[in-house]
Amino acid sequence: MIAQLWQYVLAGVAAGAIYALIAAGFVLIYQVTGLINFAQGEFAMIGAMTASALATGGMPVLEAAGIAVLAAAVTGALCYVLAIRPARASTGVTLIFITLGLDVALRGLGLLVWGTNPLSLPAFSGGASVNIFGGVLSPQSIWVLVTDLLVFAALYVFFRHTHAGTAVRAAVANPPIASTFGIPLRTFAFWSFVAAAAIGGLGGVVVAPITSATYDMGLTLGLAGFVAAVLGGLDSLPGALVGGFVLGIVEKLAGGLISTGWEQGVGFLILVLVLVLRPQGLLGRAVRRA
Amino acid sequence: MSTVARTISVATLDVRAVTVRFGGVVAVDDVTFTAQTGEVLGVMGPNGAGKTTLFNVISGVQRPTAGEVSLSGTRLTGRSVEDVAALGVTRTFQTPVMFWGLTVRESVEVALAAHAFGGTYPPAPWRELLRCGFAAPGRRRESALLRDHADAILAGAGIAAMAGRPTESLAFGEERLLEMARALAVSPTILLLDEPLSGLNPDEIEAVLASIRAARASGVAVLLVEHAVGELLAVADRVVVLDHGRKIAEGTPQAVAADPLVIDAYIGDELE
Repeated sequence: MIAQLWQYVLAGVAAGAIYALIAAGFVLIYQVTGLINFAQGEFAMIGAMTASALATGGMPVLEAAGIAVLAAAVTGALCYVLAIRPARASTGVTLIFITLGLDVALRGLGLLVWGTNPLSLPAFSGGASVNIFGGVLSPQSIWVLVTDLLVFAALYVFFRHTHAGTAVRAAVANPPIASTFGIPLRTFAFWSFVAAAAIGGLGGVVVAPITSATYDMGLTLGLAGFVAAVLGGLDSLPGALVGGFVLGIVEKLAGGLISTGWEQGVGFLILVLVLVLRPQGLLGRAVRRA
Repeated sequence: MSTVARTISVATLDVRAVTVRFGGVVAVDDVTFTAQTGEVLGVMGPNGAGKTTLFNVISGVQRPTAGEVSLSGTRLTGRSVEDVAALGVTRTFQTPVMFWGLTVRESVEVALAAHAFGGTYPPAPWRELLRCGFAAPGRRRESALLRDHADAILAGAGIAAMAGRPTESLAFGEERLLEMARALAVSPTILLLDEPLSGLNPDEIEAVLASIRAARASGVAVLLVEHAVGELLAVADRVVVLDHGRKIAEGTPQAVAADPLVIDAYIGDELE
């Protein structure tokens, strides 16, 4: 029984690692622009589909992965320039509807370009599963965890140890005052979309060998990432990491112990509970005086 | 951001016939004055005299109903708050505005760095990201210089000891001192201080007054709105007095304090 539980936990960690990457995109864009980008999951879809299609065409996996991340980043840049920036004078609700529209549009684009058939991507490396205290993780899951580690470490270094990162934090803390100090909010908004899309794309690439890639994978990934971000705290990158893993583990435990039907539903139960009991999330900050 | 060159040496802030109406209320009524770099201009008046509204007009927050503000011939009225700031007009607020999540030193560094790079800051975040963590002597030196500069500013403001503290942990008076230091970090031409002494203890008041005098000595034009009339008259070179939006007196602190119109306006308010 304990061994079984442990295996669920490990499976949850593997799933949560992806959620954390998607959640990081939600948090980045939310912090910098105050916007919840519901198209976030589609960046993962673009990454996964591009890499899978290229690899199926014979390109080496790492090369295909690089191009896929680039494609996702460019998609993010275009989303900001073509859809968000022209409407920046609008209210929050309008912008949220725009991102919902982007979500549908990108999924439609995926359908047009790649069709409905799932595409597969070879695992990054062969080898046997890794045994951890009696539970197993696939080699590809290790790749996902390493990706998490690298992405969050890079974000930490950027925000804590570069002047640009400090400037972004100042812009997040008080946009109007930061802009009077010459901090360019619009430039930061642009780069937040690019970074969120690249991270999402990378998430799609590393998960594709596990789940395979389909044009509609962005919907479930996006929702899971959103739940993870809200759970961790929409304004907290460490929260995204924690939220992702907690969601993944709870999902797999619910799926294993109750029934697999619960795996998806439990996320929304968590979402409702968090919004009722602790709206700022696990690591987020409560609203404070401006 | 504006491409207009920053005026660093001698500059004149020119407030010409500025009127602000909110519906039927006239908050500022045909006010004209100038301020030169290297002087402290006190702006006083009873509550509701229009002092903060005047600051809002100068800093670009509030568009005047009539009249205009210019800085050495460059029109400020009609520009965005950001552009006015980029032209060298910096302000502090009655309630200090902090960058939560940054430390005290970072708050000053970010102002210094943004100012140093002008409106194009940061020049290349990805390059900085790639270089940090590696032994990049140029960058290290740059960072060390920025840090030293920030520490010097903090020392000047009398808050060197709290450089590493998060801004969330500051008491009200400390926030005020930091806001002042941060404002000076951008080497403003015009510094608008909105009641910088309120809520401070005597030591903090001394620190702010010292910063004001240092700013004046370095060639800043300081506009000072302050309810503590005694301190205002002591530090100001000239004083403009507003009452119900109108300028009722202008001159040296001695002349203004002796002006019957001013004394009259302050009856009910205390004039020390």
